[in-house]
Amino acid sequence: MISVREAQFVALAVAFVVVVVTVSAKKSERIRGLAVLLAWLVPGAGHVLLGRWRKGLFFFSILSATYVFGLWIVGFKAISWDDNPFYYVGQWGSGATFAAAQLLSLQKPYPREGIPPSWFDPGLLYVCVVGLLNLVVVINVLEVKRSPAGAPAAPPAPGASDPPPAAPAPPEARA
Amino acid sequence: MKGVSYLLLYVPICLVVMLVLEACRSDNPARIVRRSFSNFGMLTLVLVVGGALVWTINRWL
Repeated sequence: MISVREAQFVALAVAFVVVVVTVSAKKSERIRGLAVLLAWLVPGAGHVLLGRWRKGLFFFSILSATYVFGLWIVGFKAISWDDNPFYYVGQWGSGATFAAAQLLSLQKPYPREGIPPSWFDPGLLYVCVVGLLNLVVVINVLEVKRSPAGAPAAPPAPGASDPPPAAPAPPEARA
Repeated sequence: MKGVSYLLLYVPICLVVMLVLEACRSDNPARIVRRSFSNFGMLTLVLVVGGALVWTINRWL
């Protein structure tokens, strides 16, 4: 559990980065920066902002289902720093899981009744992996091309990956 | 073999990882599913063969 002072420092740092990016970036870059921030806060929200709503919904549904399943195994108590620092930091990959960890890690996680005790560690792993996978999704937001809302992604131009046609041989070479 | 049931949890988490990674690479749902299952099968095969090899070495050598 981080202290109030550390939380204030993190909030100030994020606010500073947001202000600097907003002032210095172009409009398209601002939207992409906002998409990255949203993608960190809620899995898939960045893709939805960029018009890739199907992919955004896919990321949200699959990551949230995995997260809830992991939490269900460990009795809806997210892991704290004292339990396992590595798994705890792994939850920082998403704002939603980070917030849940702050709220739910006040009590120690425990194996749910009826679940084999050996499932406890894999349950914590599920919670951690969701945060790490969301980092991959955030990086993907930087690469995804923006499309109008609801429109499918533009297909690649035909022959874009083919090598250019060879230039005709000069007349002296033909002779 | 007591408590080995947690190995069942390997299947869903591995499929989730493969699906998310492939979804980042491609926009075609059929291709995402096909390549995810293909990678999952290959990873499982490697792990099973590796595990069998280690078990054999420990058992007989």
